[in-house]
Amino acid sequence: MPSTNLWPRVEPLLARVERPARYLNHEWGCVVKDDAPFQFCMIYPDTYELGQANQAVRILVNAVNATEGMGAERAFLPAVDMADLMRDAGVPLFSLESCAPVAEFDAVGITLPHELAATNILETLDLAGIPLRSDERAEDDPIVLAGGPCAYNPEPYAPFFDVILVGEGEEQLPEALSLIRRLRSEAAPRDAILRALAREVGGAYVPSLYRWRDEAEAQAAGSWVEPLFDDVPPVVDKRVFEGFAASDAHEPMVVPYTEVVHDRLNIEVLRGCARGCRFCQAGMMYRPVREHSADNIVNAVVRGLAETGYDEVSLTSLSSTDHSQIAEILTRVNDACAGRGVRVSVPSQRLDVFGVEMAELVAGQKKGGLTFAPEAGTQRLRDVINKNVTEDDLFSAIDAAFAAGWRRCKLYFMVGLPTETDEDIKGIASLAQRAYDRAKAAVPPEQRGSVRMSVSCAVFVPKAQTPFQWDGQISPEETLRRVGLLKRSVKYKAVDVHYHDPATSFVEAVMSRGGREAAAWVEKAWRRGARFDAWTEHFNEEAWTGAAEALGIDPARIAQADFPTDYVLPWAHITAAVSPKFLARERARAQEGVTTPDCTFENCSACGACPTLGADIELMEERVGKTGAGAANPYRRVIGSAAMGDADHVDGGSADEMEGN
Amino acid sequence: MADPRLFRLRVTFRETGRLAMLSHLELARALERAVRRAGLPYAVSQGFSPHMRIAFGAALPVGVGGTSEFFDLFLTDYVPPAKALAALQAASPADLMPTEACYVEPKAAAASVACPVSTYEVQLSAAPAALIVPETITVVRKKKEKALAVADFLVGPVELDGDAVRFTLEAKPTGSLRADAFVRELLAATVAEGYAAEGLRPVSFLRVAQRG
Repeated sequence: MPSTNLWPRVEPLLARVERPARYLNHEWGCVVKDDAPFQFCMIYPDTYELGQANQAVRILVNAVNATEGMGAERAFLPAVDMADLMRDAGVPLFSLESCAPVAEFDAVGITLPHELAATNILETLDLAGIPLRSDERAEDDPIVLAGGPCAYNPEPYAPFFDVILVGEGEEQLPEALSLIRRLRSEAAPRDAILRALAREVGGAYVPSLYRWRDEAEAQAAGSWVEPLFDDVPPVVDKRVFEGFAASDAHEPMVVPYTEVVHDRLNIEVLRGCARGCRFCQAGMMYRPVREHSADNIVNAVVRGLAETGYDEVSLTSLSSTDHSQIAEILTRVNDACAGRGVRVSVPSQRLDVFGVEMAELVAGQKKGGLTFAPEAGTQRLRDVINKNVTEDDLFSAIDAAFAAGWRRCKLYFMVGLPTETDEDIKGIASLAQRAYDRAKAAVPPEQRGSVRMSVSCAVFVPKAQTPFQWDGQISPEETLRRVGLLKRSVKYKAVDVHYHDPATSFVEAVMSRGGREAAAWVEKAWRRGARFDAWTEHFNEEAWTGAAEALGIDPARIAQADFPTDYVLPWAHITAAVSPKFLARERARAQEGVTTPDCTFENCSACGACPTLGADIELMEERVGKTGAGAANPYRRVIGSAAMGDADHVDGGSADEMEGN
Repeated sequence: MADPRLFRLRVTFRETGRLAMLSHLELARALERAVRRAGLPYAVSQGFSPHMRIAFGAALPVGVGGTSEFFDLFLTDYVPPAKALAALQAASPADLMPTEACYVEPKAAAASVACPVSTYEVQLSAAPAALIVPETITVVRKKKEKALAVADFLVGPVELDGDAVRFTLEAKPTGSLRADAFVRELLAATVAEGYAAEGLRPVSFLRVAQRG
């Protein structure tokens, strides 16, 4: 149990750093449970203002604190100025609640939010004074856990963690910690604890219990890893939180003092998205789709606003406007917030007229910009990626949005998608210009000068556990050529083009697709000064290229190679419960330009997630726009609010109106 | 600004401990959130982005706390001051605790200019033999250096009692001398003249009174 209070040594540093409020703690809503016999520290490997809003940190700290005998504290990576001062002063990484050294906790969890956080994980461990590699840790060092999106290809992180938890952590993390606590109290050695975690906790991957094979051996064996013991699972399926739909949508939260990203009350209205975009990892990772009921959500909004004092609430998920009761939810939330200066927002816009109507419900008088993601410029390529959106969907959404008062629209695209040609790039320009024409036609003549359309391009990054995991990224030079072509193809001054730096996207792709050899690359790059890679001003390309040369590895092959679907990838021993057969089938359909429907609206697409997990799609009502074909989906349960124990289920009026759209 | 239908509640609070490190913007946001948590019937401005009608007193530098800071909150309904205070206290962290609440005239001077004279108390890391008050202090404003005459802002003497310093500064409509800049130069001059050893620094810094 941590006993050292570092505050007297931290405080004198604060006068010399930017934003001291990052390091203060004492926020409203933070829970101090420092008398619990087992202490866990949850770390987001970036600064406070990026990590504090993170939903995983919020949920997992609450889940551990709700466990008898356990306390959870938060820690964030200090910004560069503070980290350097701390090193000079010999102050190690500290938790916020007790200002205790992270190394004194019984267990430490680091979330892996995205591929560009890799060097920050080493920065975190180093600043904490915890040995970087699992095999260097002593008996009394904390057990170091990881989880989050990048756990779906854990290999580039494998040597740095004792255990990597794959999937949803609400139940899994307290389970793993309880096991660690019990074995620690029995004085079990570290290797016995890790072995027990691998054996007993579903979704737990303990890298040190597997031998890493070389490529030829891996291809012959069908897996890059060989379990060293019989009781270690050869394949680790993700965990799912089965109780999600029925669980309380209210999740206590800490209210920060300094401004953070997404600085508002966030209510998770549903989990998962089955639209099935073939590049999208989140769409594969969070299956099956599960909804909270409207009553549950409205209660959580009212209670959350009263407890936090926030002036904004966001109804978050991967596709909130797909919630079967979204119109009812937004109407009731609006009524509950009326006259109090509280804004309501929905982060992701469904790309059709219904999506615009929902955005309009909450926009009030202030209509800033709307964002749509067609992702590709031609119908052919949109079919390849399974973005089930047509030009008509986009144009009618634009008509509706600009007629309703919006004047700015941002369109998201990806460059470098599999099968992309120059025609698809020119198609982006054409689509954006025609969208601009439609927007202009939808507004009164005197306001046409204020219409703006912006195009934002990300570079395609192949992600593990998706149908495009076998497809390579285009080279940074090719990205720049295609972006150049796009910029030349846009003739309108009112349409501007932005794009991501291909050098950082390249590192993302290597981290996304690398095997265990990528871990050495991360460590070498960090030792050469790479940290905060996601921050444009800190990204250090030379550190990464120099590290690759020093190690003699070819990161371009990792990022850019195309593989046949029978090629065994370095993450084949981890699954999102979506079957490899489904992924291969989807890739084949992509190459044929055949789309696959969303199983929450239509037939089951046989991805395997429901039967593998023993879980169902849980919807409150039928979704808006559902076709008759969906009757045949055996895994889709339409629960109805009443079945969720909600006493005052609203009449079906709003839902019926929505069906008419 | 003065709307006769609204009730203008002046809330005095302390900003102490580590929360003295908050910036003015962070403080303002924290207070607004406390008002919402307290469930008070705050007025909301009209317009494209409606927001709470609240006005804050003169800003404190980062690192300087206060024992009698205040803000004016406009309410749509009358709430007995004791009841409003109790609700705010229940919704506030210990280091941002409201201590008094009373109604003031809607036409009273704006909170930010109502009390230009501020008295500060600083606890030093060591007791200097004497203090040297510099005559001018050079500050950077809009990338230009400007020399401020201390006498234009300092009200009364700078008192030294062991390791405790007490002084009063007046903000002028044309500008003001920041208390933290004044103390920094005060300590530098004191050390330079040999009245204290190197490393002399404030260990606590509070605004203890504000008046008109």
